[in-house]
Amino acid sequence: MEKVDVIVVGGGLAGLSAAYGLAAEGLEVILIERGDYSGAKNVTGGRLYVSPIRNMYPELWEDAPFERPVTREFITLMGEGNSTTIEFAADKFAAQPYQSYTVLRATFDLWLSEQVMEKGGMVIVKQRVDDLIKEGDKVIGIRAGEDEIGADITIIAEGVLGLVANKAGLRELPSWKDHAVGFKETLELPKEVIDNRWHLAPDEGAAHLFMGGVTKGMLGGGFLYTNKESISLGIVLGMKDAKERVDKIDIYTLLDDFKANPTIAPLVADGELVEYSAHVISEAGLSGIPQLWGDGYLMTGDAAGLALNQLYTVRGMDFAVASGYYAAQAIIEGKKQNDLDAVGPAYEKMMKESWVLKDFETAKNILHFIENPRIFSHYPNAVGRLFDRVFTLNDQPTDSIYTKVMSSVKKDFMNVTTAKELLGMRKI
Amino acid sequence: MKIIVPVKTNPDLQMVRIKNRQPVLEAVPYILGDLDKNAVEAALQLQAEAGDTQVIALTLNQGNRKIKDTMKEALAMGADEAYIVTDDALVDTDQAGKALAIAKAIETIGGADVIIFGEGSHDGYSGQVGPRVAELLGVPEIGFARKLTPGGPGIQAERSMGDFIEVLEAPLPIVITVASEINEPRIPTLMNIMKAGKKPSTDWTLADLGLEAADVAPKNKILSNLAEEQDRKNIMLEGDVNAQVAALIDALTREGVLEA
Amino acid sequence: MGTTVEAKLGYNVFKIDKERHIVIDTEICNKICKDKTCLYICPAFLYKLDDQGNNTVDWEGCLECGTCLICCEHDALSWEYPRGEFGIQYRSA
Repeated sequence: MEKVDVIVVGGGLAGLSAAYGLAAEGLEVILIERGDYSGAKNVTGGRLYVSPIRNMYPELWEDAPFERPVTREFITLMGEGNSTTIEFAADKFAAQPYQSYTVLRATFDLWLSEQVMEKGGMVIVKQRVDDLIKEGDKVIGIRAGEDEIGADITIIAEGVLGLVANKAGLRELPSWKDHAVGFKETLELPKEVIDNRWHLAPDEGAAHLFMGGVTKGMLGGGFLYTNKESISLGIVLGMKDAKERVDKIDIYTLLDDFKANPTIAPLVADGELVEYSAHVISEAGLSGIPQLWGDGYLMTGDAAGLALNQLYTVRGMDFAVASGYYAAQAIIEGKKQNDLDAVGPAYEKMMKESWVLKDFETAKNILHFIENPRIFSHYPNAVGRLFDRVFTLNDQPTDSIYTKVMSSVKKDFMNVTTAKELLGMRKI
Repeated sequence: MKIIVPVKTNPDLQMVRIKNRQPVLEAVPYILGDLDKNAVEAALQLQAEAGDTQVIALTLNQGNRKIKDTMKEALAMGADEAYIVTDDALVDTDQAGKALAIAKAIETIGGADVIIFGEGSHDGYSGQVGPRVAELLGVPEIGFARKLTPGGPGIQAERSMGDFIEVLEAPLPIVITVASEINEPRIPTLMNIMKAGKKPSTDWTLADLGLEAADVAPKNKILSNLAEEQDRKNIMLEGDVNAQVAALIDALTREGVLEA
Repeated sequence: MGTTVEAKLGYNVFKIDKERHIVIDTEICNKICKDKTCLYICPAFLYKLDDQGNNTVDWEGCLECGTCLICCEHDALSWEYPRGEFGIQYRSA
């Protein structure tokens, strides 16, 4: 069996980040990707938070093919027959260094794979890894079709489903109880139209999240990100709510209803559909992270459950890049010290001591919190009712603004349930 | 025996979108055409049957930024060696120019016993380059082969003529173009992809072939390349079912779809 | 009226293998599974009951998300990614 230093299973951001770091240090690394190119099987909402990972490969991000830096945040609460939108712009978001960028994976991942190859890493596309080869409990390589290749370390970066790792007994398949499905349309719109609709200076971008009616009260929400000349419009939906829903709603129809909603319709008008995509997302937080390493292997990115939904921020790609980076650092160090047994523990230590696992620790109760259906129905409706009262005039004597606000607040917010939920927020 | 397979790398047509009737080629990856893969496969099968045979893949680079990667597909399938001719003058050349450059390249490689083309390219599909190369090299040509066997004075080829099947034999050297029915091209295995990177690949320019830009200047020019437009009539029939059926028959008759 | 989901899939690039990568165990599906989540949870709406009431899947239009696999509690699906060279090839996503 031919043998190399490192095999990377999967050419998404985690795998590419690992391969880049390893190749840059001159290690012999082979990355195997099943798509026609890196990015061909990948889906994001999406936004990549660059701030957390900027210092990992500082030379990379300058020329990266980002779509637009996110300078404006929008949150829309969709109530019954109304919607409330918060638009947040901050000077610091509109200045270098930008905190986050919208991206399209087919462009972004392909570019990163080219950077890996430039560093001397081998990226093999159109090949599906079928199995990990084990010797006892130790992973010693991979099998693709009839061919086997050995490696000192195998980096598992195969994505959220973890089919290969599962076959080898290294992790469970994802559970419907704590995973969501995201599906989106990429809609082309002229640059200027995008700028106008989201109040953007040229080349600046917006992130727009939607809660409430968009998921008909189910866990999840809508998202809209502005790319250079397109928008990514989609829905993320908790599988548990969707699965257990009595009326068995065909989930794809939610996106059509979303687009037809009077709040959204003018934003997406004349958008020309160019692609329809879907992907699974972990909502499990810390509890969804399997053993990060074992004899002969490291787990990275979505394969390691590294996705975090905190309602207002949805992250995954930054964790993927960071885990790949730390995997590479741990292996480089292990090679230097000629101590490969130290690689796994070193990787786990780096992950634990960095923001990566600390952020998961901080958010460990998030799933419990967001599983509360009131977040997706009661509150968006309550906010809508409040503003409905504030803005409505008819031929009857009107209440004072104080009365209007307070009566809404008393009814919808000043109750035991909300107080408990507020207290619950302390845990997230 | 030496087999040269001139292949064309072109944009993956499945990935091309049409916008305002124009193909959007930006960011579309290049691949070997399906018929080019048939040609490589035919060469590899001949190699397996005849033994002691070298298979060389040859291409003209017409603007493929990643030509080396694309040619690795041919090497990963099993070709032993690759030759790539890159020159700005080749980007807009026509079939005559391409045939001349390929013929010169074949001569520069040192000739071949068998030269196998796909019957046409994946994108343009003119089907001209194979026969033109045969003419330039002054060797016989068999087109649209669907079976090849070494034998007789050199090679036997079978081709479908519609109502009957023709079996031909010819001495070497020869140019053959193959039809898609000839084989099912193999999908490269992981090990063969890895080995492909280590196989010899030679880069040439037109000057290496003793040619100048003027030699391959196109004699015809593509003025426009537009997707076909289909106009729909968008006629909605109304009324009860009987009235709609009558109106439909009436409309189809007027269009000449149904006979009156 | 939005675009139908079939029409949406028409905008994608699918390289279709002769081998199917999703196989339904009709036995389990018919006899054990009551909820048939796959019929409504697939974002590409690929699962449908045929005239005999057997579950079928138009695997050629699969977005490879794996939602059906995760939501099938009866192990009625044998589900693999398509082989290399095949399946969805996203151009933006």
